[in-house]
Amino acid sequence: MFSVKPLKPTFKSYLPPLQTELTKTPQPTINKLEAKLLPGEIVVNEVNFVRKCIGAESSRDDLWGKLICTNFKISFVTHDALPQQKFQYANRLLGEHDVPLACVEQVVTVNDAKGKQKVLGSNQKLKFNPTELIVYCKDFRIVRFRFDEAGPESAKKVCLAIAHYSQPADLQLLFGFEYVGKRHCAPSGDQVNGADRAGGPQTPLFDRTCDWDREIKRTGASEWRVCSVNEGFSVSPSLPEYFVVPVSLADQDLKQYSGFFTAQRIPLWCWNHHNGSALVRMASIRDPAQQRKLDQRICNAVTRSHPKRGDVLKSDLDKSLPSIQDVQAAFVRLRHICVIEPFEESEEKWLSSMESSRWLEYVRAFLKHSAEVVYMLEGKQASVILQEEEDRDLSCVVSSLVQIMLDPHFRSLQGFQSLVQKEWVMAGHRFLDRCNHLKRNDKEEAPLFLLFLDCVWQLMNQYPAAFEFTETYLTVLSDSMWVPVFSTFLFNCARQHTEHSRDFARSKNIPLGRDKALRFPPVWDWSQQFTLKDQALFNSPLYVGKGGPCVQNGAVKSFKRTKKNYSSTLRGMPSLRNGLLGEHDYFPRRSSLVLRLRPDFSQLREAAESPSERFFGDWLSRPPDLQGLLLPQLLPSHLKLWRLYFLRWVPEAQISRGGPITAFHKLSLLADEIETLQRQLRQYKGGAPPSSAPASAPGTPQPEQRRMYFKADTPRDPPSPPDYLSSSFPFSPVGNLCRRSILGTPLSKFLSGAKIWLSTETLASETL
Amino acid sequence: MDPLAEVPLLPGEERVTDKDLIYMCPFSGAVKGKVFITNYRLFFKSTDVDPAVTLDVPLGAVSRVEKMGGATSRGENSYGLDITCKDMRNLRFALKQEGHSRRDIFEILFRYAFPLSHAMPLFAFLSQEKFEENGWSVYSPMQEFRRQGLPNDKWRITFLNQSYELCDTYPTVLVVPYKATEEDLRKVAAFRSRGRIPVLSWIHPENQAVIARCSQPLVGMSGKRNRDDERYLDIIREANGTTNKLTIFDARPNVNAVANKATGGGYEGEDAYQNAELVFLDIHNIHVMRESLKKLKDIVYPNVEESHWLSSLESTHWLEHIKLVLAGAIQVADKISSGNSVVVHCSDGWDRTAQLTSLAMLMLDSYYRTLKGFQVLVEKEWISFGHKFASRIGHGDKNHADADRSPIFVQFIDCVWQMTKQFPTAFEFSERLLVTVLDHLYSCRFGTFLYNCESVRDTNEVRTKTVSLWSLINSDQASYINPFYATESTRVLYPVASMRHLELWVTYYIRWNPRIRQQQQSPVEQRYKELLALRDQYLKKLEELQLSDSAPHLPNSTAPSPASPTQRVTHLHTPF
Repeated sequence: MFSVKPLKPTFKSYLPPLQTELTKTPQPTINKLEAKLLPGEIVVNEVNFVRKCIGAESSRDDLWGKLICTNFKISFVTHDALPQQKFQYANRLLGEHDVPLACVEQVVTVNDAKGKQKVLGSNQKLKFNPTELIVYCKDFRIVRFRFDEAGPESAKKVCLAIAHYSQPADLQLLFGFEYVGKRHCAPSGDQVNGADRAGGPQTPLFDRTCDWDREIKRTGASEWRVCSVNEGFSVSPSLPEYFVVPVSLADQDLKQYSGFFTAQRIPLWCWNHHNGSALVRMASIRDPAQQRKLDQRICNAVTRSHPKRGDVLKSDLDKSLPSIQDVQAAFVRLRHICVIEPFEESEEKWLSSMESSRWLEYVRAFLKHSAEVVYMLEGKQASVILQEEEDRDLSCVVSSLVQIMLDPHFRSLQGFQSLVQKEWVMAGHRFLDRCNHLKRNDKEEAPLFLLFLDCVWQLMNQYPAAFEFTETYLTVLSDSMWVPVFSTFLFNCARQHTEHSRDFARSKNIPLGRDKALRFPPVWDWSQQFTLKDQALFNSPLYVGKGGPCVQNGAVKSFKRTKKNYSSTLRGMPSLRNGLLGEHDYFPRRSSLVLRLRPDFSQLREAAESPSERFFGDWLSRPPDLQGLLLPQLLPSHLKLWRLYFLRWVPEAQISRGGPITAFHKLSLLADEIETLQRQLRQYKGGAPPSSAPASAPGTPQPEQRRMYFKADTPRDPPSPPDYLSSSFPFSPVGNLCRRSILGTPLSKFLSGAKIWLSTETLASETL
Repeated sequence: MDPLAEVPLLPGEERVTDKDLIYMCPFSGAVKGKVFITNYRLFFKSTDVDPAVTLDVPLGAVSRVEKMGGATSRGENSYGLDITCKDMRNLRFALKQEGHSRRDIFEILFRYAFPLSHAMPLFAFLSQEKFEENGWSVYSPMQEFRRQGLPNDKWRITFLNQSYELCDTYPTVLVVPYKATEEDLRKVAAFRSRGRIPVLSWIHPENQAVIARCSQPLVGMSGKRNRDDERYLDIIREANGTTNKLTIFDARPNVNAVANKATGGGYEGEDAYQNAELVFLDIHNIHVMRESLKKLKDIVYPNVEESHWLSSLESTHWLEHIKLVLAGAIQVADKISSGNSVVVHCSDGWDRTAQLTSLAMLMLDSYYRTLKGFQVLVEKEWISFGHKFASRIGHGDKNHADADRSPIFVQFIDCVWQMTKQFPTAFEFSERLLVTVLDHLYSCRFGTFLYNCESVRDTNEVRTKTVSLWSLINSDQASYINPFYATESTRVLYPVASMRHLELWVTYYIRWNPRIRQQQQSPVEQRYKELLALRDQYLKKLEELQLSDSAPHLPNSTAPSPASPTQRVTHLHTPF
């Protein structure tokens, strides 16, 4: 028998030891293993004969190959195939075992013979030869490599390079710049990935006036206009060049007001309800002396843009919601219990640990607050101003959630992408800082975007047929934050994007031609990362789209959205007492004073339910209109852990050949069959197209572009779900987590401790 | 309009009384209305609110009726009745304080809710309901054993218990090792608690490993041994020709098994059973489970505990118990899959043992995951093998505090639900079946769950005098079908028994809360059925076009074979 750990050879062998090779033969071509490089990508360091740990209990399934550090990724190249891996969801920018450097959370090197370990930072020294490398990733993966047979010096160099290059000193050192620079020079159409652009509609980026014009028109916001006062970022550094303001405010006014707002952030229009009420977001007013006057001016302007001169309510998000630090702390705790704590030991206290992480509590708080804003817009027909100190964090979450609940357009794939572009990217959410891409300031790091995606997932979990996209889409979108080539997640604001890409081009002498700057691809260009076939996993077979057919009482109907039915107005609203909404400031219409009416709490207690509760109750008692208003079920018993996202890399939590995906699979087959039938019906050109079939709907796919990933005809309607489906699908925990297999090292205890994520400094000072 | 006309009456159901009173709804406050009592149900309809509040509670679900407040109690609506139900809700009615207004209704309610305590028949014996299907024919032990390939050269069928002489809580037909004589069986019965000897529940069609069930051995304080019992277990072990050890799963925690020695019970000692390994599964007893569910009710009814939901849920330990039961069943299934026979017991072998054997069989045998097979499983492992439904549920019995009450069967159904959540395509039946089964576990409308064992059921002529629950279900099968079901013949289902995946069954335990959207079926299920209807409609249209259009435009290779235009949503297997 062979030992689990290969014996240390007495002489330096450059072939993998035979005793571990019972299942596979040594690769004669091992020296020819090469990293697949993207344009602008260069190899920094590499080491051969590295073992990637796969199995939890033994090294039997481990893979042999070459570990490479480039300026973009940690790459492990091997000729071996991953065991039990019958399915591969491939990212075009990354190999099967690759981890982008931007995805690296922490690099730990270990020498088990000496009992030493060290968390590596940038530009650090390593006084021992590592026998193993553990990479903790931001997407919850934990990858482990062993160097028993590798050249000790090369191994050390690769580890140091990984640590160094995953902490770039400057924004322009992020790989995206080299990549986009090289692609810019390359003749167009000759892209290395062969990114075949889908002919589908493009996601508006809201960097042009026409995108805003279209949105104004779509929502019927006739009393609002696009202003270009910030062209060239001359007024506010963090606002986009174009945004929407009340018609009654002239450019001159805006310029004058801007000075009083934090970071000169003039209030931004987000969305209009068809009843005329508007959703607006705004930063705080810096000068207390101007506060009242300015508040009132803004308020009047918003009122004047309401066709019925409806009330304006202000919601102070900083007072009502957890701070970004709270969210980050919750996330760290949740990550800890999901992937760091030993699986069995944490079972007993799982629920209370979940609770004490407070993640779900925060998810609920954001959903609840957004639902109350929805009530004000829909139930009270009042305009709402979301106010936050800088208007760049909490507002992004709340404004997008409100719009998703109220407007079915944002539940379509294109609509959702435009929403993220509008309320996050253009509104200046600091993706660079919140992702901590430069690993400079941990205090700025906060997974607000993930929190938002989780909130969307909760809605999707409760109303699965209301969304065009799937949870796989949300997960992949979140993972894309760690692939640092997309304009979407690289910058803190539009200005930073423009300036840095211009400067970089200048410094590298890249001819820009007519463009103002290098164009980073938005993440929405999904063919950058995935084939059209794989992108089909984004499409939900359940979706009841606006053009799509649905069945009621056996009769096929086609949804035609009219202005009225996408957001039914509430009938018989009870008369409202003032100020019942607790934390929200209340502006009486056209009053000369900004009053904050205190809620009468004694009255509140006596009333069986508040008007907003009654509003929610009424809504819940009716069958949901998936093309109308959507409110979340807020009882804590109905909010769930987003398992696909948080548990996909945990082998013990994987339900093999089970999970929701198996039902999804069956649904997809049916949806695909229906698509095929629709196509066949359409081919009867002679006869008139069937009236109830949405044959002419613009969204229907071309024969060669079928929406569903699982197709009905290949192979002919299989009786059971394919073997490779699991609760982690399309991801696989195989080979991604070797938490339990720290054999032969004194590390197992150490790794199960909390500190490894929490404080790099204390740990680093402890050893060496 | 007379609200009386709206009271739904079953054949055989009769009105007893009605009364104007106030329903103290925990969600919307005091609601005036009228209550109707029949020999089957309590029905309430409000008169002053729109939409009307209605309650429809089978009296079988009533656990306890109490008077609340006295004639001199102060405060509005402080005088009335408090009704505790077995199905996770409480009802409170207020009446006028003058003139002993509640006396009559209290007495009637008490009498009709607890007929057995008043020498009256359960409603199941009064029901005149007729169904197309006869549920009593669902389960025939001989047929089921034949399906399993029994008898064979190692296992035989014995009628030794024909008149319940060997064991009065076992069924009449038993499968035992071929090598064991009737005399052996009698000797073994003497050494097993209540004569519940090890008998076969299920045999693996390929490796011939078996699940056998029994009660604890009567070891006692002195550590008695019984050669016949030892030899009998060894015959079971070797029946499938392996040399491996026999695994005895004792469902109890180790300490409980030891404690049972004091009352004459115990477990199989290492010395005595040398070819066996004993594994304790740490599942707690009926009292622990009862208290756990009680705690769960406290945090979900009437209001869901909001501020510390997850830690409150944890402190009920309900999901932890579910986890242990499932984990135990997984171990049983795993042993069987690898070719080792197992013996499962607890103390008496009618609570935890039934949970373990039936769940393991559900994992191992896809037949039990069909609508019909599941009925067979419940009839076989629970009803025929003497799970004490009468004692555990207390049908028609006023002794609500009886220590024999316990939600063991509810827990089993919860485990099944957890499995259906993890494998949405593996079960032919839907959540609705599970909820319906639990509703009628209490309702006393059907004879299925009445009485403790077959011998008592025979005495009371349940099969001839009452209707089976399966008659209701099998006459309307479409309503209980899971549209996502995909037939798989040989797959063993291993659920993940981890807190990461176990969920509270909110659609059952929190279904009375009006703040939760009540839906007949899950939105995903509903959408699937809509899509099925749409598909059928398109198929029909295409067929019409193909008929009217003599010149074929399409290559027929991609065209589906024409499906019958009469297909309905509920048809699962369409020729496609």
